Amino acid sequence: MDLEYIKKLVRLLDSTSLTSIEIEEDGIYIKLKKESKIPKLVTTQINPQSQIVENMNTISVPAKTETVKQETKEEKSSSKLHEIKSPIVGTFYRAPTPEADSYVRVGDKISVGSVMCIIEAMKLMNEIESDVAGKLIKILVENGTPIEYGQPLFLIEVE
Amino acid sequence: MEDKKFNIEIFDIKLDTQFIGRNFYYYDELDSTNSFLMDKKFGAKENGCVVLAEFQTSGRGRLERTWESQKNLNLTFSILFTELEMIENSLSILNLATSLVVAQSIENLFQLKTDLKWPNDILIKEKKVAGILLESSSSGSKLNKLIIGIGLNVNQSKFLGEYKIPPTSIRIESRSIIERERVLAEILNNHEAMIYKLVDNPSSMLNDWKNKCSMLGEKICIEQNGKLIYGVFEDIDEEGYLLLRTKKKIEKINFGDVSVI
Repeated sequence: MDLEYIKKLVRLLDSTSLTSIEIEEDGIYIKLKKESKIPKLVTTQINPQSQIVENMNTISVPAKTETVKQETKEEKSSSKLHEIKSPIVGTFYRAPTPEADSYVRVGDKISVGSVMCIIEAMKLMNEIESDVAGKLIKILVENGTPIEYGQPLFLIEVE
Repeated sequence: MEDKKFNIEIFDIKLDTQFIGRNFYYYDELDSTNSFLMDKKFGAKENGCVVLAEFQTSGRGRLERTWESQKNLNLTFSILFTELEMIENSLSILNLATSLVVAQSIENLFQLKTDLKWPNDILIKEKKVAGILLESSSSGSKLNKLIIGIGLNVNQSKFLGEYKIPPTSIRIESRSIIERERVLAEILNNHEAMIYKLVDNPSSMLNDWKNKCSMLGEKICIEQNGKLIYGVFEDIDEEGYLLLRTKKKIEKINFGDVSVI
């Protein structure tokens, strides 16, 4: 078995779809093996898999970022909610007279200085103005009810 | 002539205060002197400044009840407080204190017996001679300003229309024409003294007030937003609350229209 013979075997192996040739001749054993297409296929299979993994990663990563963003947004929005509290003990009125329209309604845009309500105590009519600008999210007390000092009256989402 | 215009020079001579009335705004006509001081677009900002209007087109009381007053005959005015450190702790009794000041001023000048109705009406022979409306403005929980509005019937001799409590005037009760400048100066002088008294000795003011309140100890009815509460007018506590003894307990009342039954 000479070198030329072995080269022929290599070319043969290359030119065919065979992946290995084993020959035993005159007590000499030769095994030629080429990288089969299977590994390639595997590779291609691996690639899509890795792509999937990557895609999954890319999907999951932004998802995570989104969640994080949402959390931050929630954290931020909770920190941006402002309570207007009563400076005195008294009775809460949403309008200047029983017949009149309320000073403010939920959803209203509020400016600094907007009159929000009146608290009456001992015939002292105290107009409560907003100290922030934003949107009225919630009115926390009913019209005509007694109010304690420091009791939250309005929830405003600060601009 | 009882309907001559207010003379600021005469008033100024009689005014004996440090800060109340030292800035004085005089108007022939305003919608309401309280509204004028509440409104940010007007320039009146000095602590203790007083605005007087000869006629109010929308004079008002609690819950926008109207206050009728004929031109050039009475006193309709408001005092502005912007430095609130002194009175901040006395807010709940400031109404009582103001009604006491007005009542004492009338008694000092005209020897007329006055009666106080909780929390701040001033009566002569069960008729209303003056009313008070306190208004304030807070930004968030911080008090910015406080306005004491006083309507006093001085020289008006006829009252047309219907009233919850029949009205009267100093002129009707004293049978003489009154110098309004003297009355206003007397009220402002006494009011400033009262502000200092409230800091030093609030209980003496409350005792004086109770001594002028004939309803104390009587069976009364209190109307609160359409709801009626009956009981005995037991006392006034240190915060100015009316203590009403009902069948079950003593109730603390901080608003409502009171009448004897």
